[in-house]
Amino acid sequence: MFVNLDEAAKLIREGKILHIAADESLLDKLPKGKWIGGTTPYFITEEGGTFSKDKLFVNEIPCAVDFKIAVYDRTNIFDITKDAYSNGMTMLIIPFASDVAVYFAKEAPYSADIFMNPTFGWISGFDLSTDSKAKVYDGANGVSYSDKAVAMHICLPDDKTVSLGIVNIFDIDEKGTKIKFYKDALTVSKCLVDGKEVVLSEYIEESKIDTKFPLVADYNSVLVNVSIKTVSRENGTVDFYAPVFSENEYHFARPISNYAEKFNERLKELRDVKPVFSCNCILNYLYGELEGKATPPFAGPVTFGEIAYQLLNQTLVYAEIIDK
Amino acid sequence: MELDSKLEALIKKQAKYESKNLALNLLISRLQRQYSLNQSPEQLSRCVQEMKMFFEKYASIMKNDIEELKKI
Repeated sequence: MFVNLDEAAKLIREGKILHIAADESLLDKLPKGKWIGGTTPYFITEEGGTFSKDKLFVNEIPCAVDFKIAVYDRTNIFDITKDAYSNGMTMLIIPFASDVAVYFAKEAPYSADIFMNPTFGWISGFDLSTDSKAKVYDGANGVSYSDKAVAMHICLPDDKTVSLGIVNIFDIDEKGTKIKFYKDALTVSKCLVDGKEVVLSEYIEESKIDTKFPLVADYNSVLVNVSIKTVSRENGTVDFYAPVFSENEYHFARPISNYAEKFNERLKELRDVKPVFSCNCILNYLYGELEGKATPPFAGPVTFGEIAYQLLNQTLVYAEIIDK
Repeated sequence: MELDSKLEALIKKQAKYESKNLALNLLISRLQRQYSLNQSPEQLSRCVQEMKMFFEKYASIMKNDIEELKKI
């Protein structure tokens, strides 16, 4: 729900277990309680995409038997699996550009037991017209961090479990250009394009590739995006928002002209989902001009990265509590 | 044992299975990558065990997947 500061504070005082996304100026004013939060002034509400520093997006976590909040840095971030309840879920928020975000991005796909506990969440961000810093909040003590991740571990009743899903509007052409990287990296110089070594930045420029569209890898039918952050002809490098992995084969995504239409097409099959949480990527919001456009049944923060077991880019992530 | 042999084939990429479950698809992909880097019997056994632990934990929602996997 998209609420004002007083309404959010009331929910906290009522003892509700909450996930809250909002601008830093609002999160700083919230009372202590059973909540975690992260910064963003961008949202996709039931009424459509919007920018707001006056309202907070709040998810109330229903049917929780118990919960605990924990703060992690890069030295212990993968304790999240150890700390999780045996029947539960973990909501994780990590500040954009922090060491722990970079480490999580690179290591999560290799982490033992990461799939044994449903872990979802987002990378917090900031107003892009300012030089603010992304933050996360431990609502139990009101402390905020720009260099640590915060997680809320939630214990569910024995007859409930969590289903995580993603909506990726991008497709690949299996017969199209194939890209392989020499090593796992967030910044790349050379790579193999259809088996031939190229400087990727030069290839992108010469082939007039639109970098608004991500690279996409197929993880056993799950299409996982890696968004392009910057292309430097000068340095001969390409920076990504998530790492590329040497074992994967990547493709350039098929261009999309109407993001909202594409989301609606993909969301038709998901009308009956009752998400307890969802988030969508800032790049979809900006490139897809989603301001004023809704993505029912999903509403939530617009984020600088999405988490469904691992870091994702340009993807809608949702969690649903279901019967076992 | 019937399931073990199917899981081995899946991990070796000798068989294909696509689930509707996000975690299972990501897990299959990870185990296939792990095995492709170390194609030893020990590694294969570890991968099969990891997948079986996943099925055990999510037994209630994995019934259909397990039945379908037996058919691959």
